[in-house]
Amino acid sequence: MKLIVRRPAAVLAGVAAATLLVACGSSGSSSSAGGGGAKKSSSPTASASASVLAGGKSCSSSATQLTFWAWVPGMSRAVTQFNATHPSICVTLEDPGAGTGEYVPLDNALKAGTGAPDVAEVEFDLLPSYEIQKYLVNLVPYGANNYKSNFASWAWSQVSQGAGVYAMPSDFGPMGFYYNQQTLAKYHITPPTTWAELATDATKLHSQNSKAFLIDFPANDPQWLMDMMSQAGAWPFQYSGGANLTINWTGPAQQKFAAFWQPLIDSHAVGTATDLSTQELTEMDNGTIAAAIYSAWAPSYFAPDVKQSMGQWRASALPQWSAGASVGADWGGSTYPVFSQSKHPAEAAQFSEWLTATDQSWSIVKTPPSSLFPTYLPTLQSSDFKALAYPISGSSQPNQVFSAGALTIPQTPWPPFMTQVLNQGATTFGAVMTGKETLVQAFAAFQQQEVSYAKAQGFNVST
Amino acid sequence: MSETALKPAATTVAPPSTGGKRLRRSAYARRRGRSGLAFVTPFMIVFTLFMVVPLIYAIYQSLYTTKLIGGTTFSGFANYSTVLKSGPFWGGVIRVVIFGGIQIPVMLAIAFFFATTFDLGVAKFGRFFRAIYFVPFAVPLVVSSLMWGFLFDPGYGPFNRLMNAIGFHNFNWLSNNWMVPSIIIIAIWEWTGYNCIILYTALKSVPRDIVEAAILDDTPLWRIILRIKLPMVRPAIIMLVFINTIGAMQLFIEPTILNNYQAGVVTNTYTPVIDIYSTAISNGEYQLGAAMAVVLAVVIIAISVTSLAFRNRRRDFA
Repeated sequence: MKLIVRRPAAVLAGVAAATLLVACGSSGSSSSAGGGGAKKSSSPTASASASVLAGGKSCSSSATQLTFWAWVPGMSRAVTQFNATHPSICVTLEDPGAGTGEYVPLDNALKAGTGAPDVAEVEFDLLPSYEIQKYLVNLVPYGANNYKSNFASWAWSQVSQGAGVYAMPSDFGPMGFYYNQQTLAKYHITPPTTWAELATDATKLHSQNSKAFLIDFPANDPQWLMDMMSQAGAWPFQYSGGANLTINWTGPAQQKFAAFWQPLIDSHAVGTATDLSTQELTEMDNGTIAAAIYSAWAPSYFAPDVKQSMGQWRASALPQWSAGASVGADWGGSTYPVFSQSKHPAEAAQFSEWLTATDQSWSIVKTPPSSLFPTYLPTLQSSDFKALAYPISGSSQPNQVFSAGALTIPQTPWPPFMTQVLNQGATTFGAVMTGKETLVQAFAAFQQQEVSYAKAQGFNVST
Repeated sequence: MSETALKPAATTVAPPSTGGKRLRRSAYARRRGRSGLAFVTPFMIVFTLFMVVPLIYAIYQSLYTTKLIGGTTFSGFANYSTVLKSGPFWGGVIRVVIFGGIQIPVMLAIAFFFATTFDLGVAKFGRFFRAIYFVPFAVPLVVSSLMWGFLFDPGYGPFNRLMNAIGFHNFNWLSNNWMVPSIIIIAIWEWTGYNCIILYTALKSVPRDIVEAAILDDTPLWRIILRIKLPMVRPAIIMLVFINTIGAMQLFIEPTILNNYQAGVVTNTYTPVIDIYSTAISNGEYQLGAAMAVVLAVVIIAISVTSLAFRNRRRDFA
């Protein structure tokens, strides 16, 4: 009798103890994620608490309080300047970590209805994901269109949807051919002006040294891959808001793009390291990789790893698909939208506009450690910005090349579920890096995966 | 952890006997019941809030689906049907079953060997080595994975240079074929010390008189170890298999970190927990992720409870 009375408690205690033991004995616990995040977080970042970097208690108590999340290093200088020149507004800057470190808490707060900042850094490719859920404030009533002519047209089209403007563009990454002039000279190669030339050069270099590559081809970075496809006229998505979406990874332009790169992958004429990984950066520095298809901001990721090749890096124009053309491409970049949860949208819009569309702000954020590459034309086209020199580039002026490529970037309408595209693409295209699949096969598989995901999310999908 | 510890507990909580006639509970019994409840309540509150409520909430969420176009609707078992039909998810389950199926027996054999060596006292500086072997358990899994990732690194890792020196050129510890064996090596390094300490404690509680009788009978050492000591620590081994199975099925950290050293091998469905993370966090499909988690929990319970079936019913849980 007594045993029956006692057994439920013993069983309960046993289950509870087992659960706790599971917590000890399991190898699974929440931790930072590896791949699939936003471009600027290519290394695992675990963001715990966001630290207040500017503003906060140092403002007057009657000022309008705004919260601002951004991970750009050195952003606190701009925020401090704004607070000093706008005493009726107090912006508090927090750095929750780069990429997913910010997006995960941001998405949770937006979904929960409270806790989101007034303004936050959001990359171009993620804007449609926030627009479709109506999380962003239209800035047209707050004077955004006054600044339209001051921005690169690609950037302005990225932040617009219909007649609305949902963010202020800040920095971006026009792409170019970034090479080590000593390494290229060693293999008697001049910077290629067309992709056909690049293919020949890559094969030539690899045949002279089977351990070296002209460039890396990081197929497992879907954002970089898509940017390259945009230059080839093979952009795989059409989306302009609403429920209609076109997905096309298997059309003639896309097949032609994949068919161009596959022979280089098969013959190992291009490397297969993840872009901006320690492996790639080390190999670039020690001459194993001679060049890279880089954006204007990528060298700032590379610079800390440069030891042997200091001063040797040059930029030249992005190779073209037809001789004599001048089509650019962009890789990444950030904007500063105002969120619909904000209680002070007018002041938040004012801050966002100041941060992105004034000379005072750009005179701060174009300098290290921020080193942002502006979509803001007055700074982008100024001669002293174009003449900026960087230690790893010696006396050359890479910004001349990057800013020249900034005005010919084709339209890139991102789908409203880019985190899923990046996550799934990293896996599907990753198989190409290890030789398990060809790029054409990966494109076909990815087409199926994306169409079924979009349909499951309720979109009207056309191909 | 000898199971004999449970038996005394089953008899000390009994209220004093009232000669078979229990018309009502005595005041003593009521008072003991109340103070027992008071001691257990804080834990039960925390347990309910942080274990039971999230579990129920996850099951509740798994019955709904949120779409970007169309909002949230009740979808019943649609998510479960998606999970059950998902080839990649079950591929991940098979992968962790194979991983556990190799890693757990090998690790337990190594741990038992070390535990026996310590118990026999033949190791010089036994206490020092027991502490050293336990240190990997104190290293956070993320740190272990980063460290082993450097060792296995395909481009510049020392293990690759070792393989080159032996004559295996272009060997990649993190390639498609060798990723799981490499993770097995890491897991064995991480957990052997912990299992060894538990087995050592169990061995220490084997009654000395049985062993001494066997020695007097001229039984060879290997027979003493395998026929006398091993069966007596069987309850500890069963428990360790149970815990290690649960842990192995939840493999997440090692492949996620190693993915940074070798692109393209660890997919987003490599293990079930990676699949759940990818679905819920990266793809934003929280409800489908919840359904996956429930299915995985059922699979883990089924597999780990099977290990309990091997316990000796008569002697272990009287």
